[in-house]
Amino acid sequence: MNAMLNNQVPVTVLTGFLGSGKTTLLNRILTENHGKRIAVIENEFGEVGVDNDLVIGAEEEIFEMNNGCICCTVRGDLIRILGNLMKRRDKFDYIMVETTGLADPGPVAQTLFMDAEMTEKLQLDSVTTVVDAKHIWQHIDDSDEAREQIAFADVILLNKIDLVTEKELNQLEARIRGMNGAAKIYRTKDAVVEMDKILNVGGFDLDRAMEVDPQFMEPEYPFEWAGLYNLSAGTHELVLQEGPDPTMKVALAPVNESTDEALKAAVEPVVMVFSDDEHELSAGGALQPGGQLIELNLTADELRFDVQIDRSGAYALFTEHHPDEFQAQLFGSGALVKPVVDREFKPDHEHDDEVTSVGITTPGDLHPDRLNDWIGNLLQTKGLDIFRMKGILSIKGQPNRFVFQGVHMLFDGRPDRPWGGEPRYNSLIFIGRNLDRTELTEGFEACLA
Amino acid sequence: MSRLNNLSNRFAQPIQLRENWSATISDYVIDLAWSPDGRYIAAASVLGPVTIFEGRRRTVIDAFRGHEFGTMSIAWRPDSKVLASAGQDGKIRLWDMTSGRATHSLDGGAAWVEHLAWSGGKKPILASAAGRKLKLWNAVGDLVREYPDHQSTISGFQWKPRVGQLASIAYGGVTLWDPQQSEAIRRLEWQGSSLVIAWSPDGKYIATGDQDSTVHFWIMSTGDDLQMSGYPTKVRELSWDATSRYLATGGGQEVVMWDCSGRGPANTDPIMLSGHQDFLSVVRFQHRGKLLASGGADGRVYVWQLRGSTRSLAVHEVALTAGVTSLVWSPNDQHIAVGDESGGVSVFSIS
Repeated sequence: MNAMLNNQVPVTVLTGFLGSGKTTLLNRILTENHGKRIAVIENEFGEVGVDNDLVIGAEEEIFEMNNGCICCTVRGDLIRILGNLMKRRDKFDYIMVETTGLADPGPVAQTLFMDAEMTEKLQLDSVTTVVDAKHIWQHIDDSDEAREQIAFADVILLNKIDLVTEKELNQLEARIRGMNGAAKIYRTKDAVVEMDKILNVGGFDLDRAMEVDPQFMEPEYPFEWAGLYNLSAGTHELVLQEGPDPTMKVALAPVNESTDEALKAAVEPVVMVFSDDEHELSAGGALQPGGQLIELNLTADELRFDVQIDRSGAYALFTEHHPDEFQAQLFGSGALVKPVVDREFKPDHEHDDEVTSVGITTPGDLHPDRLNDWIGNLLQTKGLDIFRMKGILSIKGQPNRFVFQGVHMLFDGRPDRPWGGEPRYNSLIFIGRNLDRTELTEGFEACLA
Repeated sequence: MSRLNNLSNRFAQPIQLRENWSATISDYVIDLAWSPDGRYIAAASVLGPVTIFEGRRRTVIDAFRGHEFGTMSIAWRPDSKVLASAGQDGKIRLWDMTSGRATHSLDGGAAWVEHLAWSGGKKPILASAAGRKLKLWNAVGDLVREYPDHQSTISGFQWKPRVGQLASIAYGGVTLWDPQQSEAIRRLEWQGSSLVIAWSPDGKYIATGDQDSTVHFWIMSTGDDLQMSGYPTKVRELSWDATSRYLATGGGQEVVMWDCSGRGPANTDPIMLSGHQDFLSVVRFQHRGKLLASGGADGRVYVWQLRGSTRSLAVHEVALTAGVTSLVWSPNDQHIAVGDESGGVSVFSIS
């Protein structure tokens, strides 16, 4: 088994919109002195040998099968090229498949799972997506391809960070994190990234994914942002511009002092406030601190709201959406008031992103039959909506960890290293469209032995 | 598919496979071709070079450079004086056996020229497939025809036995071509990906082996098709016997043989031939006889003998050190040449 695994050549699927920096990254990989022999399958490029490496031009050919199943949709050109590459004795250490900018990564990834020839000899190492940090906003809301490229990714490069502010980056990362909780995200300029972040990252390595991303398991909040202000008594003004949503829920809470700790302490009580019924407030109305959830109506021409402060002190403003989306600013006596401390939260409503991820981590052993039934049924009924799934499982009676990954309905699992003295646990993540967290969690937990 | 027969090795073995010689070329044997006059065996390596062996002994007659980035396909002109090769440099080359040189280097029309086939007859025509481009060439390398692009990459083709028509497959179905016509003469549409085509010697059926683990029979008189499912994996191995009665297919560890006599293979159970321990890579009937040879990723070669209507048995098996990639019968049906994954070329005699 292990010998077989070692023979599998890792494949990276490289996606990203035109101009995101895919080609820059590819050239970097080819010229970097990493001692690996790499075959690159590129679109619209003649076949050339680059020292030890090989670049093969491919013309994207999407094959849909007769039964109309989207999960059987594959890249015909890749089947032929990969099949041929695997025949050479002097195998390549690594294969990179670059997709066209507008490509849905599904068929490419599925090609690697589709038949015995592919699964025996190739291993999907990662789907790596290069995101143009400045221009992705033009696509993320209205392009299925952009969202799918993010959702399918194991590794995401936020590229061209020199063209955006830190704040914009944070926002973008939060948005992406909301869609895909498992991807490793790196911020890059000119696609400069250490090769070991891109090559041989092993799509299976959830351990590492969790390590680098504690936020993945962090609870979700009903607000995206909180800022702590020192406000003097009197009337202040909250000014907004038109944004992506017609309303925004906010809460203003007095806090003890203007520190990060004080802001943190306010989070839990305000979560409770956000579960209350909201009070609608139209432009021109007055906002007061206290335990009320206010819904600002943002449909007027002039979006100004009074903020009435009776007593000078520290106040925390919690907002449903990130204030930058509405260019929200607070003014006191005509001067801009900036927050002393602010914090972003992982949102649970993901804007209107239907693409989300659901992570499940639970100790204990799984009953193999129940697990099989559940996964089988799940993939049959929800396979279209589940873009990716991966995880580490603890199966009752099995000394080894069981690792798996899947693309839509296609599933590849195998025993991994022994648990040894480690505590046994299960950790898995689903990334997809319209996922029902409760249903998935309950279904999985019912498989525990 | 039900399991009717599993008769391997249960009977005495009246026929033996005896190794004549073996040799090694640079890498994976991607194609083997026995010259029609029986004198030469051409073996193409996936890396590019093409080695010409003498059929009867392991003497190397010539070594052609082949194609940069890899050779894909080789085919002898019917007079055995010229070997055509195609490869990943986008070229088709005609190698002259007398001078040992490439006399022509022709443009296939795309980066990879994957398939080649000579028609029979006095004025043989060479068909080449590169990407979506189908071209026809005459015996001396003049372009005869360049057809409008296929809708998808051509995955295979075959000349109709004795009649100068060509059937090509691509994602989307089968297309028939007549060298006298500039357009396709017939289309058999199917939304799926066929990997290999085999026209029955009597021309009544076109069989395809498919990516979705099925085999299709196209009934040429009506244009109807039958789909045979239940294969464990994609089907890349097809071979008709000389009488057009049996179609041997791979797509798994067992040879699955369909009987097309009587009312045809619809609703019948195929004959299953078990023995291989891994997926098959080639099945091939003799040109005229009833013996079937099969090779697999398990490195084994079996020869099966058909007896009566349903009974078949393995008459002999041999084991190579690497998975079988290609297998051809000699023109006189007395020998088989086998190529394997590590570049081994072996010739066996039936005795």
